Amino acid sequence: MTTVLAPVDGAVVPLSAVPDPVFSQAMVGPGAAIDPPRRPGRALAPIAGRLVKLHPHAYVVVGGDGRGVLVHLGIDTVQLKGAGFELLATEGEMVRAGQPVVAWDPGMVEAGGRSPLCPVVALDATSGAVGPVAEGEVRAGDELFQWTETGPDRSRDV
Amino acid sequence: MVADARAIIAGLGGAENIIEIEPCVTRLRTEVRDASRVDQRALRAAGAHGVMAAGNVVQVIVGPQADVIASDIEDLIG
Repeated sequence: MTTVLAPVDGAVVPLSAVPDPVFSQAMVGPGAAIDPPRRPGRALAPIAGRLVKLHPHAYVVVGGDGRGVLVHLGIDTVQLKGAGFELLATEGEMVRAGQPVVAWDPGMVEAGGRSPLCPVVALDATSGAVGPVAEGEVRAGDELFQWTETGPDRSRDV
Repeated sequence: MVADARAIIAGLGGAENIIEIEPCVTRLRTEVRDASRVDQRALRAAGAHGVMAAGNVVQVIVGPQADVIASDIEDLIG
C-alpha cells in the first residue's frame, strides 16, 4: 500500500471534474485533483522515490515498488513553457515524501485563462486501486489517498 | 512495454503526414497534414491509452514515457 500525499493545499475534487479528458477519463490512471488557493506556493513530492520526470508544470515520482505518481500543476500549463514555475529539485534525484519540487502561483495560472487544478494520478493503476480519497480541504503534505492494490497493473502498458 | 514508435508513426498516417511531434508529460502532441489519414484504432493498438483529435492536432495519450517515445519517433522519421 502506498500513501499518496497532497502536493498542494486546497479543496479535493474528483478527477472527473478536471477540464482535460486525459485526466477526467483517467486515461493514465485514477487519483484525485486539488483546487489550490490562488496564491504562490510550493508543490511537494506525493511519495518518496525517484523524481523520474520533472517539467516546470508536472512531475512524476516513482517509489521503490515501481509505482509512479504524477502531479500536474494546472491544465494546459505546458503552454506556459515554464514561465512562473521554479524548479526546487533536479530530475533523477531521490526525493522524500513531502519534499518541495516546484514553486508556482495558481493565481497566475488562472489569470492566464487556465485552470489551476492539480491532478494527482496513480499511474496505470486500476480504477479500484485508489481509495479512500480525502474529502474537503487538505494541506500540502496531508494524506490525499491510499493506493491499495499490490503491484502495478500490467494490463496497460506504460 | 512502451508504446511502439513505429506503429504510432503508421497510425498517424506515416512519416510524411507528421508535421510536428512534441512530448508532454502524458501525451504526444502532434500536428499532421491530413487528419483523415490518422487511424485511432491503430494508435490504440500501438499502445496509446487514448487519442484526442481536433482539426490537424492529434494528441496521443501514451503515459509518462511520452518523451522517450517522441525521441524514438524523431529518430525514425528524421
